[in-house]
Amino acid sequence: MEQALIVENLKKSYGKFEALHGISFEVAPGEIFALIGPNGAGKTTALRIVATILQPTSGTAHVYGMDVQKDAARIREVISYLPEEAGAYKNLTGLGYLSFMAELFASDVAVQREYVQRASDITGLGERLRDRIGTYSKGMTRKLLLSRAVMTHPKLAIIDEPTSGLDVVAAIDIRESIRRTTAEGMAVLLSSHNMLEIEYLSDRVAIIDKGTIHDVGTPQGLKDKYGKANLEEVFVQVVRQ
Amino acid sequence: MRRFFVILKKELKEMVTWQTLVPILLIMVIYSFLGRTINQEQKKQAAPQPITVVDLDRSQTSEMLSSILTKANFKVTTVTEGTIDDIVRRVVSEKGSAVLVIPQGFETGIQAQRPQKVQTYTIMRNFSMMGIQGTFRMDAALSAMNEYIGDMYITSRAPELDPAIVRHAVTSQSFITVGTTSAEGDPQEIVGLVMQQTMIIPIVLFLVIIMAAQMIAASIASEKENKTLETLLSTPVARGALVTAKMMASGIVALVSAAAYMVGMKSYMGSLIGSSTGASATAVQAIQKLGLVLDLRGYILLGLSVFAGIMVALSIAVILGAFAEDLKSVQILIMPLMMVVLLPYLITMFIDINTASPVLKWLIYAIPFSHPFLAAQFIFAHNFTMVIGGIIYEFALFFVLAAVAARIFSTDRILTMKLNTARRGSSLGGWTLQREGISFRIRRKQG
Repeated sequence: MEQALIVENLKKSYGKFEALHGISFEVAPGEIFALIGPNGAGKTTALRIVATILQPTSGTAHVYGMDVQKDAARIREVISYLPEEAGAYKNLTGLGYLSFMAELFASDVAVQREYVQRASDITGLGERLRDRIGTYSKGMTRKLLLSRAVMTHPKLAIIDEPTSGLDVVAAIDIRESIRRTTAEGMAVLLSSHNMLEIEYLSDRVAIIDKGTIHDVGTPQGLKDKYGKANLEEVFVQVVRQ
Repeated sequence: MRRFFVILKKELKEMVTWQTLVPILLIMVIYSFLGRTINQEQKKQAAPQPITVVDLDRSQTSEMLSSILTKANFKVTTVTEGTIDDIVRRVVSEKGSAVLVIPQGFETGIQAQRPQKVQTYTIMRNFSMMGIQGTFRMDAALSAMNEYIGDMYITSRAPELDPAIVRHAVTSQSFITVGTTSAEGDPQEIVGLVMQQTMIIPIVLFLVIIMAAQMIAASIASEKENKTLETLLSTPVARGALVTAKMMASGIVALVSAAAYMVGMKSYMGSLIGSSTGASATAVQAIQKLGLVLDLRGYILLGLSVFAGIMVALSIAVILGAFAEDLKSVQILIMPLMMVVLLPYLITMFIDINTASPVLKWLIYAIPFSHPFLAAQFIFAHNFTMVIGGIIYEFALFFVLAAVAARIFSTDRILTMKLNTARRGSSLGGWTLQREGISFRIRRKQG
């Protein structure tokens, strides 16, 4: 079966600074794949390249066989990207925002309505969707944005730090939403520095630090391999090696 | 195309908020109010001003002078008795504006051909432009009095001479020539009439350019600050459509705002030039004969030049907006653009482009915003080559700048290029711009 994402020897430099030193990994359809590492490890850069908003310095990334550089426009039709700490247009209502984003992806009004309905169900914000986004809490905004990211049935959702800055209850809601929506076959590439969250959420993880992937495996497989109780301890050992 | 309109609609919704509408409406109302107030004040000034003439001479000549003052638009009250101090005090208490004292022996002195001195008291109650106008009119009254007495001398010494011949032996019949056509008229009046047709254009242009540039740069900066731009860039919207929709929305809002400003400004400007609007029939005929009235072709050329100028400003603002990290930095980035717009506005107002040195002339031509300011002048001078040349230059520059803007949006520069207002220590692939004590640092963001 064709892989959702294949990244090969991906490098990215900002001037003289090399943020990615040639990373490689693959994501299967329906799989939740996480890049875990500290701030500045290169996770966001990798996600932005896959989301076609940054160009790699060298190496390749293919989404369902399409090259991120040559086929960027086609890739944007089948992916959705949720940046870390992203905001929404504060003057729009929640519904207005969902409707605007749905219109960008939908082929006709019926499809647009279906997208908005799906997102409204996922958010669980109910009547608050009729209020201006400027009045939302951080958790509500994140739920709105996550539902926006998955409402179009993307083949690959790219989510940067899904629960960054959220309280425990909101974070659990977001994680469960991601889990539920992948049941339909959507692949997810996400990044986090919260390794416990990743352990709960991901099928496989890649440990990344200073632009290099040190190991890839299932959370359980990595824990067994390094003889550690959780991914945080695995990460520390892998990085120290 | 459908996605373009979706973005355009969103941009308009974002830009047209109460925060943007209230200042526009407020300025419109303030200007209208100012205009009406000034208009009313001018009407008051145009009405005959009261003057108290203290006629201590009680002669035929002094009476004649009073009638001359009436002709000079004064409402004369004559007083023949009392001390000057008392009279002035009374006039002040009765809200009068001036007192003229004709001394005793005035007529005798005039007849003996000795210079005579009258005293004038101008009662100042405020020091505004309107408040001091009465003093100037008093000078006019004295000139009229001198002319009358001068005529009297000429008639008594040389009854066969017409005083008008003595005073104005040479008069002129003025003609104005534009190109190869000549027409009779007063050059100052003609220039005034021509300026009235176009004086509003630089103000509109300046407002539209600055407003549109600020809006688009702020729109991009705000999208970057809120990270909504990253989301937009990952959607199936073509980058060109994204840039064009932003430019068009800013242009529309700026034009509508400018129109609203103009409603207020028209009333304000109308009041400032109100007194000079009564053009003579000769002047009106002259500007028509000389082709100094904007016809359809003139309006089209002028419109194209203004439109191209706005497009250039918008494309520059997109590029500047790409450097902005937040709304605060937009103000700093837009400032040089404001200077570039203001420069030709001032230069073309005070310098004759035809007599300027070649270096200055080409410098002015190189600034794209000079052309909309100069277009009207060139159209009136029938120099269409310069107008069309200017429009071509503006559009050429717009296409180059728009291509640069689209290129920035289609690469990762839109996210990686940043301008920081604070200097940082070490640099990693960045560079610093320093000018006149202000330090900017442009760097590439690290992921």
